[in-house]
Amino acid sequence: MKKSELKSFDGKDGRPAYVVYNGKIYDVSKSDLWKDGVHMGRHKAGEDLSEFISMAPHDKEVFDRVEPVGTIEAEQVDASIERLAVLRNLYQKFHPHPILIHFPIGLFVFGAFMQLLFLLSENRSFEFTAFYAITFGALGVFPAVAAGIFSWWINYDMTFTTIFKNKLAGSIILIISVLFLVPLRFIVPDIALRSDTMSYIYNALIFVNVPVTLFIAYNGGKITWPS
Amino acid sequence: MSGDVKNRIKGVEEMIQVVLLAIPREISARHFYLSAAKKATSEESRELFEFLAQQEMGHEAELRRILENLKNDLDDLKKT
Repeated sequence: MKKSELKSFDGKDGRPAYVVYNGKIYDVSKSDLWKDGVHMGRHKAGEDLSEFISMAPHDKEVFDRVEPVGTIEAEQVDASIERLAVLRNLYQKFHPHPILIHFPIGLFVFGAFMQLLFLLSENRSFEFTAFYAITFGALGVFPAVAAGIFSWWINYDMTFTTIFKNKLAGSIILIISVLFLVPLRFIVPDIALRSDTMSYIYNALIFVNVPVTLFIAYNGGKITWPS
Repeated sequence: MSGDVKNRIKGVEEMIQVVLLAIPREISARHFYLSAAKKATSEESRELFEFLAQQEMGHEAELRRILENLKNDLDDLKKT
């Protein structure tokens, strides 16, 4: 029998109740523990229980009491599932997202601090340093976000939850901010020195990037250390 | 949509997040124990690590089952 055919042996409406363990099919239709094809309110007939046995209060020897009625045909593993497992293993080995996020976090905080020193001292070298830090931080945002989305895909099936919504929203704000800041500073090198609205926006955004970055990092921390 | 349904949706969404975050931990723990089993220098420790890896596989399977049920619950609640 093919695994896909097993589903119809669900023990409901008088149909036989079959379960699979380690490739063998067992008929549990007559068992009082499988009434209507449901076992302990958790497991359903028509399913492969091989992976669940370690969680059961009984051991695998319970299957010795039942005579197998057949075997499941070996089917080719779905290529997409196999590819996902390979990518997941690679991700766990190299964990690119936690590595890459540290560059923008550090550089945006450092850049904001340098900008603050510039605004307080009017020493232009601080402004240059802030600009370089923010530029490199901006370059680091894109691989960090890409690695985060990759992780979200392979590890969390791109499921929207509060944490991932927060991280995505923060990332979009940050990308918009740096796409505004860096080209503006390139086009108008003295933007931070001027006293017009654009200059105020430029300076404000440099400081806004800090809480936004920390907000994204805080939500990332909730994935690593959930509470 | 009533306030009660909204609260229930919020509760289910929180549970989905909890279960979702737990799954990669189980996978990671299983890899860790399997790797440890390969490095084991005694039969006893190898058996222990293999047993622990088996447990983690069970945890992952249970969590995926719960996640599927929660997602179905959420779909049903959103339809009400």
